Amino acid sequence: MKRQTKTTSKSKATVLGSEDSFRMLVESVTDYAIVMLDPEGHVVSWNPGAERIKGYTQNEIVGKHFSCFYPPEAVQRGVPEQELKAAVKDGRFEDEGLRVRKDGTQFWANVVISVLRDQKGNVRGFAKVTRDLTERKQAEERIQQQSREIMELSTPVMQVWQGVVVAPLIGSLDSERTQQFMERLLDRIVETNSPVALVDIMGVPTVDTQTAQHLIETVSAVRLLGAQVVLTGVRPAIAQTLVHLGIDLSGIITRSSLSAGLLVAFEVLNLQVVSKIASR
Amino acid sequence: MKDRQQGEFRIESESDIVSARKIIRNAAVCLGFGLTDVTRIVTAASELTRNIYVHARSGVMRWRTVNNGPDVGLEVTFEDRGPGIPDLAKAMEVGFSTGSGLGMGLPGSKRLTDEMTISSEVGKGTTVVVRKWLKS
Amino acid sequence: MSAESISVIKLRGLLLVTVPADPDDTTVLALQEKVLEAMVQHESTGLVLDISTVQTLDSFFARTVVETVQMVSIMGGRTVLAGMRASVAVTVTQLGLSMGNALTALDVGRAIELLNAEASKELRV
Repeated sequence: MKRQTKTTSKSKATVLGSEDSFRMLVESVTDYAIVMLDPEGHVVSWNPGAERIKGYTQNEIVGKHFSCFYPPEAVQRGVPEQELKAAVKDGRFEDEGLRVRKDGTQFWANVVISVLRDQKGNVRGFAKVTRDLTERKQAEERIQQQSREIMELSTPVMQVWQGVVVAPLIGSLDSERTQQFMERLLDRIVETNSPVALVDIMGVPTVDTQTAQHLIETVSAVRLLGAQVVLTGVRPAIAQTLVHLGIDLSGIITRSSLSAGLLVAFEVLNLQVVSKIASR
Repeated sequence: MKDRQQGEFRIESESDIVSARKIIRNAAVCLGFGLTDVTRIVTAASELTRNIYVHARSGVMRWRTVNNGPDVGLEVTFEDRGPGIPDLAKAMEVGFSTGSGLGMGLPGSKRLTDEMTISSEVGKGTTVVVRKWLKS
Repeated sequence: MSAESISVIKLRGLLLVTVPADPDDTTVLALQEKVLEAMVQHESTGLVLDISTVQTLDSFFARTVVETVQMVSIMGGRTVLAGMRASVAVTVTQLGLSMGNALTALDVGRAIELLNAEASKELRV
């Protein structure tokens, strides 16, 4: 019994000492919002990281309920309370989601809520650590933007002559890529005022049903603009696929090579290639 | 962060169709949709609003921003207490084209949007909900 | 959108109509009426529908255009849709709308050239 009291006072002293150090630690952290909540979810303590990430000063936020950090729909659905319940049940709760700053702007956050219990096991409150993932999200968005740019670079639509754009497609075409290609081709045709679009698919190994559908749609859409597609480089394998899919290619001008397609373009534009060497 | 879009608009006259288009165009642009996607959803809204006017005489169009994790989208609901659609499967057949003056543009509207749900009861009415998500 | 604001311009045997940006149904029908009146009045051989400012082309508009094209054709003329926007072309295709026998051109200038070329083709036959 005596020993226990001794241990208690010893640990009390240790706890007091570590409380100061702990406070120093928490106060020095600016990358994470370290916030203490009472058992009902009101803010009890606030650190510089919390002010930086969420925008509120200590005076403004202490005493307020932590649901003000959540977007309105989340509050309506009772998300903050659910998270506290989960922390009580499992000891901790971790989530990535949208949170709201003081100025109303939303940001993507990683949040860990840990339940704080006294020695008897009663819930004394919660520790909530929040990390602003905005930078990580921006990095992810940059990568996605770069993939888009790579996709665009790999399906360029180039104006090779007044009135002719050429689009050499290379690689396998999925539905997404073909749709984006269609939109870009149409934009370029309007931009450059080109009545002829040479679409070369020599570099496309296979075509699935959806992609074939999109290609046919592309041809129809180009016609609606007042231009026409000349499809070149149709490999036998693709021709077979298109026939099996019941796709009627009779309305589309096709040529085996890009250069043959170019001759068609010149015909449409009423142009002629004449050799410089005068023939007698 | 883009403004949350939300609202309700009653369809009661033919001129409400073009007003509905303007409303949805504004909502889609505010949410950050690109031009082609704006055109898609506005055209779908035009078709579905027209359905309300033509088949039920009156109804309501509701729209709101929707979230799915980090994704943001626009959801538009078209509701009427009209005659309802007797054969939903037939109405959704792709061959049932609006170009010939038949049909209700439902398969086309489905193509223009990312998600579409229809519930209809003969004699009670029809509700069509469409969603278009912002491509990240 | 007032129907009176639609102007039908007569251009050496052809008619040029500029369609407003977001016409309501009444305007679209009024357009059709005006076109047909003008066709009769001027005995035009062709119609250019300038749709370069049109942002939304739905099934009603498409149906009315198809009807107009048919009527113009019955009266001995051809119709060209000029300047469709890229975003509209995508939507019309995906909606599965048909524009009938209308010819298409990238702009009004090319539309006129096209109609003249068609007319001289017919003369030769």
